[in-house]
Amino acid sequence: MIPGGYGLPPSSKILKKDRLPSFLERLLEERIVFAPVRRGEVILIREIHAPSEVVLEYENAKESPKSIFFPEREPLFRYRTEKGKVEVDIPPGRERSRVVFGIRPCDARGLLLLDKVLGGEYRDPYYFDKRAETLVVSLACDHPNPSCFCLSMGGGPCSPEGSDLLLLDLSDGYLAEAVSERGAALLEDPAFEKSDEESLAVAKKIKRESEVSMKPVAMKENLEEHLERVFDDPVWKDLTETCLGCGICTYLCPTCYCFDLCDEAAGSSGERIRVWDSCQFPLFTQQASGLNPRPTAKERFRQRIMHKFSYLPKSQAMLGCVGCGRCVTECPVNLDIREVVKSLSGGNGG
Amino acid sequence: MAESGKWEPKILAFLCNWCSYAGADLAGTSRIQYPPNVRIIRVPCSGRVSPFFILSSLQKGVDGVLVSGCHPGECHYLTGNYSARRKFALLKSLLEFAGVEESRVQFSWVSASEGARFAKLIEKVTAEIRELGPSKRLVKTPHQGVFHATANK
Amino acid sequence: MQQLTNEIRAIARKLLREKKVEVVIGFERGSMPLRSRPCFIRKEEEVNRLFWDGFCENALAVYLPKRKERAAIVAKGCDSRAVVELIKEKQVQRDRVILIGVPCRGMVDRSRIESSAAPRRILEMREIEDTLILRGTDFEETLKRSEFLHESCKTCTHPNPVLHDVLVSEWLEEKNEDPFADIQTFDALTAEERWDYLNKEVDKCIRCYACRNACPLCYCPECFVDASLPQWIGKSIDSSDTMIFHLMRAYHLAGRCVSCGACERACPVGVDIRKLNRKLVKDVKDLFGYEAGLNLEQTSPLATFRPDDTESFIVNP
Repeated sequence: MIPGGYGLPPSSKILKKDRLPSFLERLLEERIVFAPVRRGEVILIREIHAPSEVVLEYENAKESPKSIFFPEREPLFRYRTEKGKVEVDIPPGRERSRVVFGIRPCDARGLLLLDKVLGGEYRDPYYFDKRAETLVVSLACDHPNPSCFCLSMGGGPCSPEGSDLLLLDLSDGYLAEAVSERGAALLEDPAFEKSDEESLAVAKKIKRESEVSMKPVAMKENLEEHLERVFDDPVWKDLTETCLGCGICTYLCPTCYCFDLCDEAAGSSGERIRVWDSCQFPLFTQQASGLNPRPTAKERFRQRIMHKFSYLPKSQAMLGCVGCGRCVTECPVNLDIREVVKSLSGGNGG
Repeated sequence: MAESGKWEPKILAFLCNWCSYAGADLAGTSRIQYPPNVRIIRVPCSGRVSPFFILSSLQKGVDGVLVSGCHPGECHYLTGNYSARRKFALLKSLLEFAGVEESRVQFSWVSASEGARFAKLIEKVTAEIRELGPSKRLVKTPHQGVFHATANK
Repeated sequence: MQQLTNEIRAIARKLLREKKVEVVIGFERGSMPLRSRPCFIRKEEEVNRLFWDGFCENALAVYLPKRKERAAIVAKGCDSRAVVELIKEKQVQRDRVILIGVPCRGMVDRSRIESSAAPRRILEMREIEDTLILRGTDFEETLKRSEFLHESCKTCTHPNPVLHDVLVSEWLEEKNEDPFADIQTFDALTAEERWDYLNKEVDKCIRCYACRNACPLCYCPECFVDASLPQWIGKSIDSSDTMIFHLMRAYHLAGRCVSCGACERACPVGVDIRKLNRKLVKDVKDLFGYEAGLNLEQTSPLATFRPDDTESFIVNP
């Protein structure tokens, strides 16, 4: 890692907007490229085949880019039994390296949490196979959405965390900051020009203005400890009363990683797959005995909040929320996580 | 697959115990020939046939589904087929609306005395489904085979 | 709008004060512009949270089944129809629910407004009769309300509550147009085209089940997608599994769907969910002369039959 972060970046160049297509062309020659594209009314991060597909004038993609590393449906192995013999077949590693281009800093930062959870002692080979071979080029937010709250979650609209290269829109071009060595290598591309003092000053100003424009979320110091104390507080019932129990918040979340394993068999052969699962579903904790330790939406919603704001900060030293705001905008009943955190922070239970 | 490897449709028939299954039996004991493409599942009543039976069959790759019960008014349970008829009318319309070919899923009534009608029904249904070709829509393509050649252990 | 809000508050206050109900289920202002959201009011001093505008889109009847409290519910036309079906299906007791009927002029689709204003951001919106006044950081704009309604509201034929104990505001004129023109157009396409369209729609699905959970008539203790013995469909986003999920979800609502559109509004990825539901609504009407949720007496179409029901689809060799 090249020491990066805020202030004057150690290694930055300018990418003029008219040279972006040629840069993407060259990326496409060597890598599979994922980028924001328009699908109907929404923006999604999808594999692209031509630079013209890319849309960079956008707020954020409807779905988080986690599926590029942690797909909704992922085969873990296939098996076949024949005459008492079992053959097991494991997916091959990735052959071509990839780049995720133009995602937002909150989503890039979300990958850091996935790295921690899926890494460690029991390293998830399926995830890291994709992660290791994928460069992350993110696009800083110069006009954060009113539903965004990354700054309060420890990130920022122009945070380089989780990215290899960070782009910042200077209107006629992008200031490209290398965050990692792999990112710095990308700056060798002929599309990039040397940056000048003036651009750096403009970039600094944009960053500051972008941060200032964000409304902070009122959050208690030591929330992770406080939440443990209010675990049995009646406030949870009031907070979750409107929750419909769907999985939108968890499925669109860039850091939710819970999954289920299923066997899909046909006769003597089949496939073991990993599919996304959600703590908001009753089946998530339903036991074979019939007991469900999280029987209602209250317990399930509480789990989501506790996991993000108490358990993960304790076990991984990182909040389980990057403040992308998807759950805020997409919740069918507008159950706003910022208000929940605020309400729990102000509560005096326990 | 028939001889010479030519494709032949696989058809699943849900027949009610009291009429259509007995009708199929009669066709057999009367030695009436009908196409061998049909696999029969005996159910107590056409009213027992859940839409899931039909969709699951299509998902697992059968080329056609036939459901047959007693003629209206002759149900062993008096009204089972009347209730089923409403369900089937909606299901058939929904599947067609979604683009599933009209002849893929068919419904009929065959009584215990109608061995010849049963044979004719199977001939008609088989011919129509053969005409359509192998089923593709709704079929869940099995994820099988090897990912790559060297991973076997 | 303010007048409706005031009327709803006054009714709620009275119901709570006289202890007619323990809870009033209504709407309050949401946390963002263009959002209102469900709320539960149990104390008289909280009734001023209640609010009414063009964004009160949720189907509140979803909160009624299994509720032990005696409840009052703010009910648009579609909500009241959902309550009627729930009463018929014995999920709600008629004498334990009070319907505060609100004739509804259709709910406004915030995503349409947002895209019409984009890339400008809306900070505030006021609603006066048939106009919406948007205000952003550097603009103010007036839109015609009726042009920004949800799809389900555009084809709504029952804007007035069919069942109510108290009525807010005045009865609206009911449209008498054929609401199924779009279904007929779709039906006229080839099977191939219909399949391709629906497959593309269903491919967006992430299986979050928001459509199911937002639906006031989806209350099964165990949904078929969760059943494991037998497991009818796989859990992944496999296209066959997802298509069958959507077909069966719609089919389970045949003769029960009240066309409130809650499923489609809840969908985060914009699947055209109502296409299948509406086809069945139309079929049930055409074949069995039934419209869901219009009265408490008529038997549900799949709980009954007529000897002369349609036979047109039956094969006669």
